[in-house]
Amino acid sequence: MEIEPYLRPLPMKEPQNEPFWEGIARHEFLVPKCNNCGDWNWVPYPACRTCLSEDLTWTKIAGHGTVMTFSVVHRGPPTFGKEPYGTVLLELPERPRSLVILGNTTGMNPEDLHIGMRMKIVYEEIPSEDFVMYRFAPA
Amino acid sequence: MTGQKRKAAIVGVYATEQARGLERSIWSLELEAIKGALAEAGLSHTQVDGLIPMDYDTPISLHMAWTEQLGGHPITYMSIGNASGGVAKAASAIETGLANVVVIYFGNANNPNGPRQLKMLDRAPRVKDWMFLVHGAYMSVWYAMWTQLYLHEFKAERDYFAEYPVKMRENAMLNPASLMGSRGPITIEDVYASRMIASPLHLFECSLDNDGGYAIVVASEEIARDCKTKPIWVIGGAEAMYTDGYQTITAPWNDPKGAAVKRATEIAFGQAGITHDDIDVAGLYDCFAITVVRNLEEMGFCKLGEGADYMHEGHLWLDGNMPSNTDGGLLANSHNGNPSGMHTIEVVRQLRGECGARQVKDPKIGVSLAQGASVHGLAGVAVLARD
Ligand SMILES: [Zn+2]
Repeated sequence: MEIEPYLRPLPMKEPQNEPFWEGIARHEFLVPKCNNCGDWNWVPYPACRTCLSEDLTWTKIAGHGTVMTFSVVHRGPPTFGKEPYGTVLLELPERPRSLVILGNTTGMNPEDLHIGMRMKIVYEEIPSEDFVMYRFAPA
Repeated sequence: MTGQKRKAAIVGVYATEQARGLERSIWSLELEAIKGALAEAGLSHTQVDGLIPMDYDTPISLHMAWTEQLGGHPITYMSIGNASGGVAKAASAIETGLANVVVIYFGNANNPNGPRQLKMLDRAPRVKDWMFLVHGAYMSVWYAMWTQLYLHEFKAERDYFAEYPVKMRENAMLNPASLMGSRGPITIEDVYASRMIASPLHLFECSLDNDGGYAIVVASEEIARDCKTKPIWVIGGAEAMYTDGYQTITAPWNDPKGAAVKRATEIAFGQAGITHDDIDVAGLYDCFAITVVRNLEEMGFCKLGEGADYMHEGHLWLDGNMPSNTDGGLLANSHNGNPSGMHTIEVVRQLRGECGARQVKDPKIGVSLAQGASVHGLAGVAVLARD
């Protein structure tokens, strides 16, 4: 990262999402999958939005998707530094309920982003905060 | 004849000074606005029995505090929402006897929406798990992503988006209270030459980010007839919510089934008994051109994918058949945190015939639309009419 130490906002890891952040720490992206109707749910809620079952399992997804849309941000908050950064809404293949995940790009020039581009979820260590964060990189 | 339902009217509106960096408290701005709107109507604060604060995070304790601030007279209706939806609910509460005088109000002071909201700290701040600021996706970034998708999906003409701020600057130049009117006209070339904020959006394509307050007073027919202002009747109104706040996004994002704006519009137009051709003036929430384009589609003025072409045809401009955002809107008049009431106030002033150089000729029916939350996830629509 450009600015050291890392000063961008980070998730507070709310107790109900602990399995998610434990998964991210071992480089696995987990999404609540409904054991009753089979639907995936993102962002996580306590119950399935399709059938309202609370019988959900944090389940590893394939870990790739396509760019639904994006922006290259030239004027970000001060803690995001001066270099433009890529912000992507990544559409995952898991269905039937659509899964769209917001994230930043890494390992590429954000100007190379385009709609429909295939990307994979990757993991970035933030040592100063003892945190692992998910990012999107070209597949 | 449209709009038979005339049981509640907007009798007072007021906007404080709108500017960046006002040295005021939110409370002071709201109080000034409430007092101003009541004074315009010729009503006393002792007559207020309904409160609808516009702050998105309104707890009931806020209604309680304002009940005391206004003298401890009983408040019998308390609600939340955006201004158009608030007007709809105030009218509904009045019609069913829950209240007689409802005040909708908002203030913003030193609480920016844009990138300035994140201060430089010496340690990474912690926010809710799925909060968009983790990824630097503040509001302009969301609408940039929405614009990017729309341009790609419908092969829309890019210049039509850049034309919108040009037309709004023209409106603002006729509005002495606007933030940008005194800066003079801009061209499409100026829009593209302004600095890139979040691709594809340039600075002149992003809404303002300023302070200010406003209030709107809705009263019963009986009270409205005795007020100092011309009553602007609420003949229809509704709100709708489809999703959470910029966390859950569905694919397709531009869903042919429509979402909150479509639903609220259908209910409100149905109540008022109006069709699109009946509307003489409008206030359409316009934080970015894409919002207006999608408003027009969801409200049924044109089909999905045709909004940019429809806008370019000129219906919304001052010489069009439904002049909209005649105050300059959120790009050139004011964007004060939750500016949804500004559109309603301008429509009321147009229907009263108070708009001077930007006055639309003899408007009888007006519509105000508010939207937000995961883009078009939340909407309010009010249909207004003069005698
Ligand atoms: Zn289920």
